[in-house]
Amino acid sequence: MPPDPVIDSREEELMATLGPLRRSSLWVLLALLAIVGWGVYAYVYQLIHGLAATAMTDYFSWGIYIVNFVFFIGISMAGSVISAVLRLTGAEWRRPITRMAEGITVLALMMGGVMLLVDMGRPDRFLYLVRYGRAPSPILWDLLCLLTYLGGSILYLYLPMIPDLAILRDNGHRFARWRQRLYTVLAMGWRGAPAQKRRLHRATLAMTILIIPVAVSIHTVTAWLFGLTLRTGWHSTIIGPDFVVGALYSGIAAVITAMAVFTKVLRLERFLTADHFRKMGLLLLAAGVTYLYFVVNEYIGAAYLVRTHERKLLEALFMGPYMIPFWSMAMVGLVLPIVMLALPWTRTRSGIVIASILVNLGMWLKRYIVVVPTLSSPFLPRPPMDSGGALVYFPTWVEWSISAAAFAAFVLLYILFSKVFPVVSLWEREEGETLRPPARAAAVRAAPLPASAAVWMLILALAGGPGLAAPSFAGAAASADSPAGEEGVAVSPPHIVLETTVEEGQTLLLATVTRDKRPVESARVSFLVKRTFGLLKLGEDTTLNDGTAAVPFPLDLPADKQGRLHIVAAIMSGPATTVARAEADFSGGHIAVSSTPEPVPRALWAQHAPIPLVVGLFVIVGGVWGTYGFVIYQLACIRKER
Amino acid sequence: MRRAAQNEPQERVDEAVYEELAALMRNPTGSQAGDETPNCSGISRRVFLAKSGLILGAVATGAASLPADEKGTSKAAPPSEPNQHQCALAPDGKLVETDGSKIVAPDRVASQANARQGAPGRKWVMAVDLSACDGCGHCIQACSKMHGVPPNRQWIKVLVMKDAELTAPYYFPQPCFQCDNPPCTKVCPVDATYKRNDGVVLIDNDRCIGCRYCMAACPYGARSFNWGPPKEAGKMAAAPYSPEWGYPRRVGTVEKCDFCPDMAARGVLPACVEACPMKALYYGDQKEDAVTRNGGDTFKLSKLLRDRAAYRHLEELGTEPRVYYLPVVNRAHPAPGEGAQPGQKGSGS
Repeated sequence: MPPDPVIDSREEELMATLGPLRRSSLWVLLALLAIVGWGVYAYVYQLIHGLAATAMTDYFSWGIYIVNFVFFIGISMAGSVISAVLRLTGAEWRRPITRMAEGITVLALMMGGVMLLVDMGRPDRFLYLVRYGRAPSPILWDLLCLLTYLGGSILYLYLPMIPDLAILRDNGHRFARWRQRLYTVLAMGWRGAPAQKRRLHRATLAMTILIIPVAVSIHTVTAWLFGLTLRTGWHSTIIGPDFVVGALYSGIAAVITAMAVFTKVLRLERFLTADHFRKMGLLLLAAGVTYLYFVVNEYIGAAYLVRTHERKLLEALFMGPYMIPFWSMAMVGLVLPIVMLALPWTRTRSGIVIASILVNLGMWLKRYIVVVPTLSSPFLPRPPMDSGGALVYFPTWVEWSISAAAFAAFVLLYILFSKVFPVVSLWEREEGETLRPPARAAAVRAAPLPASAAVWMLILALAGGPGLAAPSFAGAAASADSPAGEEGVAVSPPHIVLETTVEEGQTLLLATVTRDKRPVESARVSFLVKRTFGLLKLGEDTTLNDGTAAVPFPLDLPADKQGRLHIVAAIMSGPATTVARAEADFSGGHIAVSSTPEPVPRALWAQHAPIPLVVGLFVIVGGVWGTYGFVIYQLACIRKER
Repeated sequence: MRRAAQNEPQERVDEAVYEELAALMRNPTGSQAGDETPNCSGISRRVFLAKSGLILGAVATGAASLPADEKGTSKAAPPSEPNQHQCALAPDGKLVETDGSKIVAPDRVASQANARQGAPGRKWVMAVDLSACDGCGHCIQACSKMHGVPPNRQWIKVLVMKDAELTAPYYFPQPCFQCDNPPCTKVCPVDATYKRNDGVVLIDNDRCIGCRYCMAACPYGARSFNWGPPKEAGKMAAAPYSPEWGYPRRVGTVEKCDFCPDMAARGVLPACVEACPMKALYYGDQKEDAVTRNGGDTFKLSKLLRDRAAYRHLEELGTEPRVYYLPVVNRAHPAPGEGAQPGQKGSGS
């Protein structure tokens, strides 16, 4: 029998947010649904017509789908930073924000995954990633990271919500029947017993620590998707940290925007005070300044050195076709928000919200600038006869529609989330106000796990170069003559006998030319050796008075497994008027020692990954999912201990 | 005492020699009669596969039923008579004598089993003589015809390069470089594009998921994508698919120059090489240390690369291309933008 619920006015207010939407909000909901529906239509159109429905070409092989993907992955940083970092450092003020940040994380990751699916040329083969997955591919790493981060984020969203769900369950009479059932199931029989609290705390702490390296890893690996290619503007050492800091920046901005919307729509002014906005604004300022520093670092080397290919890219960015998005990003997305957040008289609640919206726009543009202009500046010029593909990428209605639908679906799902689950934690607030959790000290003591990026780097370093077995050759003794092919004799053409001989320690190919059994003098004999596609000329010699001509035997020339070379001797000019030739196989060429087919080595580029990479992947992914298993086990125990 | 023979072949062999020899090779029985032993010397371009355990490419009879005639240079010929002894060219280059009845028309489906391993003991390689290229684009046309490459797409490109402001421009034929450290196969998430033992990088379009990461990873822009449903008809659409020729095409998959590995294994030069009127393209087997250009002129690869100061494009990227370039010296044709412009040449990029 659950204890009689004692509902105070704050909980009352928060539970009211789960009530039905206002009429004006319903219209917004319908509009979002319409956009999503239109996007689904556009996607069906794309499925029928292929990616030809987009503006992508062989040069712009990635477009705004990938831009959106990177953007969504970026704002997914919100959950881990607001929840985990602030929780670990014991920042009490984060409590009302935690859940909405974690909600952004889960939904953004889902939409990021959807964008990858939309970008695929063959979405029907999606499961090939499981069936044929190759460990050295950064796409596979990214997918693993995405699933790991998504799984972790869902757990991390769910764990602190369990006591809330119990409160909702205990007030079940206020809700529809399906909700009662949902809350009852999800509450896992939570009663708030000390053993349950202990277990929940243990699980939450594990997730709090673990989610930070997992979050860093997904932004880093997403950056590596670009950074591990030989492309100007992508291949840079700073791109991993750059994406992490950029993700922080856009994630914080996304949370501030969500805070503003929820404050307005769900009337949460009491919980999300001006102080919350100010603190988040300062966090955003810190992230913004850091990111500005990274962006300067990103371009300073290229702009200072102006190496051949980088110059083309920078010209396109600074004063070329990408000037407008670039300077908009720099000014509206970076400088302006930083100034607004830095100056006290613009660091008001509305000023912070406006800055956060600008940051969101600017960071989308930044992702556009990362993806598209690099593709427009390849190492090699475009062929003059190439008539395919525009010089500038501008997305088609299909791409805009699907992108708009993705954002609409994100907002829609977020609204639904906020209507089913309380976006402001009931219990954690309560806990923060009444209880001093014994965990705090432990949480502070516990150092975050080592950045997974370093481990990844190590694996890559270990993976090393491809170990192609160098073919080695062994010399073989020459000799073993075989008689030359007999040529048919018509109107007394010259006749050639081809053999090998050793003179003064040198192996020679000897051709004896006769006509009617008499030696022919001064005939030019060409010596050739058969290769796959033609006859390779070894040399030419003119016959002496004994009718012989000779060239050195090509001892260095690769031969077949028995060391045989197929030699042709031919007369093309000289006193002989008729073409004559003879041919025969001779031993004595180079033999490759390994005549067995070369095994395909374990290499990054080969089918089978280097073992350190495979082991590393298993250890890292297995470690993270093992911890998830521990958390789930704690949940099962909570259920048992009711 | 025998004088020391000329051991250094001339740089450019008298072309008449090769034309006559080539004619001889093509028609071995025409001028020679009464051979007792089976004549294994006439290496025809017409090739068969035998079903006698060994896979043999037969010689001296025509190809009966190549699914797509564009692949081979031969036309249909009467089927071989049984029990007639014939010489066959095995894929490893060995000449084998066999019973005529064992020789069958090549079955392209059967060769797919080998499509991931490659011709044993081979390392296909290409060299491009930049002095000889006049930018006519015949290689592109021949390639597009043979592989059914749609318009607006090129498997081999002819770029106009200009290294510096004061240096002269030059034409730059660019196939896929078939790198030995291929950045494209590194990133493929499903092993759809792969490197074979014979050096060739191929794409399996029954496997490709269309993520286009390989296109982003290739620094040379060698890859193209089937953005929409392919518009193929007739033989192209009806042919069995193999990564070795890349058609019939699949929507939403990547394709590129494949180095014509199925033809090379049969001793036939790639379409671009055969079509080059300037003989600027050389193709061969690195393990044989030989490359051959249009017309059959064959050169020792190591010597050619040494004598002509060959280089690989963008060597600093470390991709180790299998395509070597012989730099421009003693231009044989006007530079781009100079002199008469035959055909459909572009003028700068």
